[in-house]
Amino acid sequence: MSESKLVNTIARERVDNLASQNGEPSWLKELRVSSWEAYLQTPMPTGRDEDWRKTEIESLDLSNLNAIDLSTKKDEKAKLPEWFETALTFFDNHSGVVAEVGQASVPAKLPAELAAKGVIFCTLKEALRDHAELIRPYLSQIESDQKFVLMNKALFNGGTFLYVPPNVEIEGPFVSLTHFTSSNGSPNGVAIFPRLIAVLGSHSKASLVNILSSEPGKENKTTLRSLANVLVEVHVAPGAKCEYLEVQRFDSNVFAVTRTHNQVEQDASVKSLTVALGGSQLKGDIATVLNAKGAESDLQGIVLGDTDEHYSFNTIQKHNAPDTSSNINFRVALKGNAQSIYQGVIEVAKIAQKTAAFQSNKNLLLGNEARADSIPKLEILADDVKCSHGATVGPVDREQVFYLMSRGLSAPAAEELIVTGFFRQILEACTIGRAKDWVYDVLAEKIHGV
Amino acid sequence: MTAKQPILSVQNLHAKVEDKEILKGVNLEIFPGEVHAIMGRNGSGKSTLSYTLMGHPRYVVTEGKILFKGIDITEMTPDERARTGLALAFQYPVAIPGVSVSNFVRASVNAVRGKDVPIKEFRAELKEQMKKLGVANEFLGRYINDGFSGGEKKRLEILQLALLKPALAVLDETDSGLDIDALKTVSEGINNLSNPETAILLITHYQRILNYVEPQFVHVFQDGRIVKSGGGDLSKELEARGYDWVSQELTPSGVS
Repeated sequence: MSESKLVNTIARERVDNLASQNGEPSWLKELRVSSWEAYLQTPMPTGRDEDWRKTEIESLDLSNLNAIDLSTKKDEKAKLPEWFETALTFFDNHSGVVAEVGQASVPAKLPAELAAKGVIFCTLKEALRDHAELIRPYLSQIESDQKFVLMNKALFNGGTFLYVPPNVEIEGPFVSLTHFTSSNGSPNGVAIFPRLIAVLGSHSKASLVNILSSEPGKENKTTLRSLANVLVEVHVAPGAKCEYLEVQRFDSNVFAVTRTHNQVEQDASVKSLTVALGGSQLKGDIATVLNAKGAESDLQGIVLGDTDEHYSFNTIQKHNAPDTSSNINFRVALKGNAQSIYQGVIEVAKIAQKTAAFQSNKNLLLGNEARADSIPKLEILADDVKCSHGATVGPVDREQVFYLMSRGLSAPAAEELIVTGFFRQILEACTIGRAKDWVYDVLAEKIHGV
Repeated sequence: MTAKQPILSVQNLHAKVEDKEILKGVNLEIFPGEVHAIMGRNGSGKSTLSYTLMGHPRYVVTEGKILFKGIDITEMTPDERARTGLALAFQYPVAIPGVSVSNFVRASVNAVRGKDVPIKEFRAELKEQMKKLGVANEFLGRYINDGFSGGEKKRLEILQLALLKPALAVLDETDSGLDIDALKTVSEGINNLSNPETAILLITHYQRILNYVEPQFVHVFQDGRIVKSGGGDLSKELEARGYDWVSQELTPSGVS
């Protein structure tokens, strides 16, 4: 890869430009620059790296990408995608919506009572302008040596910030949408770097919905790849409870690299559901760090692939303290010749006695050419723990299909019912608004091939 | 006046599973309104007959045919057979986690009837049948057969048949795994299915259920075919004397 062609795009100049254009304080500029320097020193991952196995990272040409800015202008009337308007009807009790659609941002209308309690929900850009000192520690607290995380930390210029003060409990979810397009409509050859930071103060309670999407390409599929490099950091302070839903529905020309990091402190809990519904290549990392006694996490994942989509998810359950528990339930169904690789790591530190950690990954192959791999990894240094993992890969159960067909359902209808059932079990765990019904509808649409 | 047409006419039916021939020339005719029982030991091929009638893809017909309402259904897929009016209550209904009973039953009724039954009408019908079978409301929200007891599974099978109103209901070992109270309720459900237009084929190896559902015709199944047919009394004779005398009776006459 020739670095010289990056000058106007993913380059040091851009890092400097962002800092001055946004009028960022010097400490923030320094953070960006040090991330950029670490980025330069970190080699580009290749298909030979274990974590990037089977992801066609070589197909991503960074030299051809134009980084675009999200939220450059506020626009109350920016047109939201129609499906998003539909989605919002399922979150009718929401506590605020922040939408970044192309370069416009629709500001959150935070209810006055929440603002009075000190709740903040806005674009990251606004947060850096208005609440710089509050957000400052969280920008560097979670360290990473990953190339794409460092890239995001140097170049982020969009995203959302949620802050819930200690002891504040909020029922309705906060909803964030990042929908990217370029000036000519569909996102061709562009790159976005949204960063979402959620901070839940001690003994607070809140839920957050994060939807990442792109405008369907109008041109043919050979148009330029775009990159969505997404960083999500969720900080759950002692005794707090966070529920998080992320839905990724990118178009077929998008290469997405997403990283979600949940930092869970003493007696705090995080419950999350990640739904991946499209993109050309999707590389997702979900890490949960159980940092202190009594921390809990329950993570669910859904991947529904079709055509020649490629999904690669890595999950890490990292137990740093005793009496912590974690669970992962990751389900994948693949149509067409879609491919998926799931790698799940359970890491238990030596001091993390009485840890309970579970991991399950089930894969349904619907297309004849579909392929799924599942690789569990256990790194357990403590000796008094309860850990288990399990994985299955296979086609739809023929006896189930026969049973449904014997009651009059056609073969495709039977299969559809079985696959939606496969996911429904996971959706039941999601208690945010009527999210599970919306996700179910969206899944059914894709299974149906609409 | 035209002669009455059989609902089911099985003619010299041979079927194999993974190259092993299990059905070896089954002949059977059933007319509307009749109740038949096929009795035989485990492993005699009774369940294979029920699966083959319903069109399980694992069971391959190698010879003979199945006429249903005068139509050759031998090559039909299971859903086509269901929509023609054939239904099978499974001995071991599979669990389908994530698919609720109410969703499935409605989809099934709509598919078999070939039209969307209005939801209110469907609910009323469903509630009535559930009441008859002593099935609790919470049943509807549960996943199909998932974590069901033996009795619950069989009740769900009969409930579905009651809603589908098939022209022929094949019941495969519906009595197995039921305690006496469940057996009574399920038998009552089976008797309710019976009417001048509907025929019933009970497949069982115990006489027990025949105390509650009385067949007019009993057939003894052995080694992949029907070796003896008789009236309702034949089942009592089988219960009293076991299956061995049938074999002994057959051997001299050269049926092999």
